[in-house]
Amino acid sequence: MSDSGKPNRRHVELAQKILNLATERGMASGERLVEQSIATLCNVSRTPVRKALQVLAEQGLVTSDAEGGYRFAIDPAMVPGLDLEPSAQAEDEVHAAILRDLAAGRIEEAQTVAALQRRYGEGRLAVQNALLRLSEDGLAERGAGQQWLLKQFAISSDAAAASYEFRLATEPLALTMPDFRRDATAILSLRQSMLALRRMDEDSFNRKLFDRTDFDFHLLVAKSCGNPFMAEALVNHHRRRRAAPSGHVSTWRLMQSNVEHLQMLEHIERGQMNLAADLMRVHIQLSQSQRPRLAGRGVPSAFKIVAR
Amino acid sequence: MTAAKTIALFPEASFGAALNCVGIAQELRRMGARPVFICHPGFSGVFSEYGFPEYQLGGGTGDATDWTGFIARHQDAFRQSPDRQLDSYVGPTWDAIVDTAITVEAPLRQLLASLKPDGIVLDNVVMFPAVANAGVPWIRVISCAETELPDPDVPPYLSGLGLAERGRWDDFARRYEAVTAPAHKRFCAFLAECGLAPPPSPSFLDPSPWLNMLLAPEIIRHARAEPLDPDRFVFLDGCVRQEAEYQPPRFASHNEGPLVLTSFGSLGAMDVGMTKRMIEVFADMPCRFLVNGGSWSDQYSSVPDNVYVGSWFPQPSVVAQSSLFIHHGGNNSFCEALTFGVPSLVMPYCWDGHDNARRAAETGVGRSLDRYRWEPEELAGAIRSLLLDEAMRARLQQNAVRMKAHRGARRAAEGILNVVNRAEAPRRAAG
Repeated sequence: MSDSGKPNRRHVELAQKILNLATERGMASGERLVEQSIATLCNVSRTPVRKALQVLAEQGLVTSDAEGGYRFAIDPAMVPGLDLEPSAQAEDEVHAAILRDLAAGRIEEAQTVAALQRRYGEGRLAVQNALLRLSEDGLAERGAGQQWLLKQFAISSDAAAASYEFRLATEPLALTMPDFRRDATAILSLRQSMLALRRMDEDSFNRKLFDRTDFDFHLLVAKSCGNPFMAEALVNHHRRRRAAPSGHVSTWRLMQSNVEHLQMLEHIERGQMNLAADLMRVHIQLSQSQRPRLAGRGVPSAFKIVAR
Repeated sequence: MTAAKTIALFPEASFGAALNCVGIAQELRRMGARPVFICHPGFSGVFSEYGFPEYQLGGGTGDATDWTGFIARHQDAFRQSPDRQLDSYVGPTWDAIVDTAITVEAPLRQLLASLKPDGIVLDNVVMFPAVANAGVPWIRVISCAETELPDPDVPPYLSGLGLAERGRWDDFARRYEAVTAPAHKRFCAFLAECGLAPPPSPSFLDPSPWLNMLLAPEIIRHARAEPLDPDRFVFLDGCVRQEAEYQPPRFASHNEGPLVLTSFGSLGAMDVGMTKRMIEVFADMPCRFLVNGGSWSDQYSSVPDNVYVGSWFPQPSVVAQSSLFIHHGGNNSFCEALTFGVPSLVMPYCWDGHDNARRAAETGVGRSLDRYRWEPEELAGAIRSLLLDEAMRARLQQNAVRMKAHRGARRAAEGILNVVNRAEAPRRAAG
């Protein structure tokens, strides 16, 4: 907690945890949040809980009531994710700019904090924090001396195809590991969001909420697999996947993808792990773009090769 | 309760026709019909992304490719004038189109027999006997430029000639007929084998007896000497699919500058050298440029701060936010620009792109520029002048309001279902 009493990243993370707990418990708009209960459930004192509730209030997700407490102003299952505090914006911008410029070939893979400070006109702390986040996402690592090495391969145009290849080999396997443990609470929370997404049509589909449930679902599979090496590899991969810019996907495909997630979740719940693994294979294959690379009037079909 | 009508859409294997049909299929789905797509060999994966069932025809030639030879051959042809392309590109392309029509006939007949559609939408430039003989109405969509449907007052198809060059029309038309004659002769023999009367030379596809739909928006439409029968020919005023919203990337510079989209289609993207030359010009302009690099996106290194190269864009959503669209004159791209009131800088390299380039300039909805013969200042000047032309922008914006109100894709879907329902009524009464 910061001395100034200003909400920091930990408060935002706790606020997100409160939202997740509320979703798991099926709480709805208008329901009261009890500070002490939250503190007990999150295993923290009431002070950070109060700060976290203030974060939610600032974002309009809860409103204070006459008794000095807070009530939900929205359905918690519908919140795609919390925005970071303003102090993290500079770091966010540098993070996005590094990825953008690396993908466009404007900056080299080997960089120093000073060089990036000059390029982006930001302070040392913002650049350092951005590099640390890239490192946590598996997109950068410390090199010799003052150097940082950015991982261009992870954001190249071949990265998406290579990522699907990797996931096809590992995610179904994770589901059939002998020590796979179902996390009933996380499953419940995810189901709420997925069901909410399923009720949306093409025009109203909430892509941000989908992004969150997509990440959470695949992370759930990774963390539950029971094999720490497999879990680590998959968690790192999904983090990297979420951090790197991805290509455009049609809303219809995301809607289908959500239904596939739900079906897998149901099979996981029932312990039908082989079925869930088979569905995962189908899901990953359907998610790969099969669009032809080149097509035109009179172009022989042999040239209409699909992306790898 | 009546079952949902199954409408089989069969676009040619090009992104323009395919995505145009996606727009129609989205509306058919909203109206409770069941649209399905028939795909040419190798051309699948586009429609499933939008949630439509795909049925791929057999008859492909495998995966043995000679990319280098193919690209070199086409890139040479794309540098030529429409007149010279008759021999180097148009003739061979018609040969390939006829080959495809013959190759897919048997699998198409079998597929239609098993799909049992209530109607077929053909967005193609050639007839498929299996479609004509399917026993259900077929509707023709002309997603190419209006010149595909000839008229004494419309410049010849693929000529790139304007109204002011009328003296050259006959010569081009004669040469076109001569170049396509061998393919046409072969095609007529094939149609005769299938029991169909051949279309008059040099046409490869007669209008549908049920319904024909053209994209050509009013603002660029030709005045015809022989007006089209409004019961059988419907102008859609564009036909744009629904895409998810597009959030432009944050550029490394000029984030407040106007957005310019550059896309030459999947074929046009293969000339990386030409696009790199354009990017050098873009680097010095106070704008943001989105460039469709297609399958060659990886070949762009050291991209300027105000340029973003991507391999695919949800084009309608991007055009809607753009101040200028630089394209090849593909009819779908041209209509999207008009739908969203965006001026076009057309740099054509083949087929009806030449016709649209000329028409854009002729009707004051944009400008045309030779794809290869330009100096950096000429390209920059063309971009600047289009961005600063307030009168053109205002006219385009007014036109966009009219086009959106016309709801081309919806009208197409309604027209298709009307034809299907009308054709079914006598059958139901007789049965």
